[in-house]
Amino acid sequence: MKRWLENPLLYYQLYGVTRNRWKRQPFLYGTAVFSIALVYLLLFQLVSFTEAGFVSTLSLCLFAMCLGAPLMAYNLFSLEYEKQTWETLALTRLTAKEILWGKWGTALMRVAGFTVLVLPLLLLGIHTDISNDLATKLYRFVAGVLMLFGWGALIVSLGMWLSFKLRRTLTTASALYAGQVFALMLLPLLLFIFTGGDVPIEFIGAIQSYREGIYWWIASFLNAWALLFLNPFWAVYQLNLIGFGDDFLFPRGESYGVGLRYMGWGFVQGGVYLALALLFAGLTYRGLKYAWRK
Amino acid sequence: MLDVQRLRKEYGDLVAVKDIAFQLQPGDVFGFIGPNGAGKTTTIKMLATLLEPTAGTATLNGIDIVRYPEEVRPLLGYMPDFFGLYEGITVTEYLEFFAAAYRIPKAQRAAIIENVLALTDLTVKKDAYVETLSRGMQQRLCLAKSLVHDPILLLLDEPASGLDPRARIEIKELIRELGAMGKIVLVSSHILPELADFCNKIGIIEKGELLVWGAVDEIVSQLQANRVLEIKPLGEMEPLIQRLERESHVHGVEQRNGSLYVHFAGGLEEQADLLAALIRDGYRIAAFREESLDLEDVFMQITKGEVS
Repeated sequence: MKRWLENPLLYYQLYGVTRNRWKRQPFLYGTAVFSIALVYLLLFQLVSFTEAGFVSTLSLCLFAMCLGAPLMAYNLFSLEYEKQTWETLALTRLTAKEILWGKWGTALMRVAGFTVLVLPLLLLGIHTDISNDLATKLYRFVAGVLMLFGWGALIVSLGMWLSFKLRRTLTTASALYAGQVFALMLLPLLLFIFTGGDVPIEFIGAIQSYREGIYWWIASFLNAWALLFLNPFWAVYQLNLIGFGDDFLFPRGESYGVGLRYMGWGFVQGGVYLALALLFAGLTYRGLKYAWRK
Repeated sequence: MLDVQRLRKEYGDLVAVKDIAFQLQPGDVFGFIGPNGAGKTTTIKMLATLLEPTAGTATLNGIDIVRYPEEVRPLLGYMPDFFGLYEGITVTEYLEFFAAAYRIPKAQRAAIIENVLALTDLTVKKDAYVETLSRGMQQRLCLAKSLVHDPILLLLDEPASGLDPRARIEIKELIRELGAMGKIVLVSSHILPELADFCNKIGIIEKGELLVWGAVDEIVSQLQANRVLEIKPLGEMEPLIQRLERESHVHGVEQRNGSLYVHFAGGLEEQADLLAALIRDGYRIAAFREESLDLEDVFMQITKGEVS
């Protein structure tokens, strides 16, 4: 554990390179911090007084994560290539695992930091949520936070891998933003166009057990509806339809909410995002190990 | 000891490095000379374990660099021709980063960094931010970084490129000092006067082929089988030219700028005999010397100006 925390790359990426920047560009950093604080306070006010509810708050946080996560990883490796520092780093005794941890760990910690930063907003959101049932609130909150962190982890892992493969900061950043626009907006749109706008989600209301939930997840991967189900904004919206016990404020009826629970809605998405994040981290590790004989 | 054995690198049909071989001992400062595109950087990158050779290998203190790159890396220091430095940190922090990356125990780091800073003459800049250093200082910092783990082989690719004259001299002094410390130093350059001062061995590479390598003096004397003697006579030149042309070791005489340049096949004994004979014959000789080859002459004689 100590060795992992004493990783010089992790220290440099996380602390060394950033700690003095604000001293040298106080106006720039002051403006940035002030702007972020202002937006945060406005959001805080919005959530506190308008009772925006959990799903709206989470959607806003997710949108912020979509914008912010690429910035946490777009240059992790590409900057090493562009600034020509990579070869000297590759020759040190740091192993592929340590280099990966230095880079990926930094990005994950930034995502975790962002998630912690928005937690007060999410807590307020869940507090003012339309549902009064504690179990419902707990389910929505935990699944929502998992999705938020999972999506961030997926974007930074993809960004790290692209940054390693493409070796260009600008290309990586463009690919991350354009990729998100494609995956989160254009792909669902195409799916709606090809199916004539008829989203076959009524089956969810018929799901009676976890076994059936698993079955429908597998089916959704086969008929491409997973592209929609794994869309975090769609998934977050559906969280509103989940309920327990006497909580019957469900636009689609109680059985639909129960079906979503049997599908592990939110938790499965979060798990898939984390699994994909692991996959991209694994690909980066493989690249480091074989291409650089580390 | 560095033992390079038939090292070869191919990129498709292009042979960037053709079966080069040489050996270096501790304390050797090896000048790797060649025109741009000759294969110097490719060779250095293979030795640095950054590129895998297509064939052949090299051993450093008996460790195969192709089979055991991870074991060799701690034994070598590498300074690329184009390099960057981590910004936003101080010189000391930069060196601490590499000391940690080379697993130097925490307790020893401060003393090592102090020594390296003193060696590279950067002590006064230890608290300066890396990006505020001049190009020459950054070059020295890169070299300092390559020294923190006390490597036995230093691979320096064009270390003086882009430096002003003063910084060039400083880096030359430093390289000489590193050789004196018993390290094997391999320095590449295409600027010959840069290497002439401090290399005890050279290798000339062209079109991926190592045309010649060895001690500088040996290579020069090999190439100087036909010596050129410069004779500056006082008085008439014509009789002296006729006299010289009768000598069996003389293959030709040229007259330039008030001196005679004699193409001479003999050794030092024959040179001394010729001078004595000329004086005995009453010629008044103001200067008599052998024109020595420098690295530029050697390079021009050996290479054809081709790249791979």
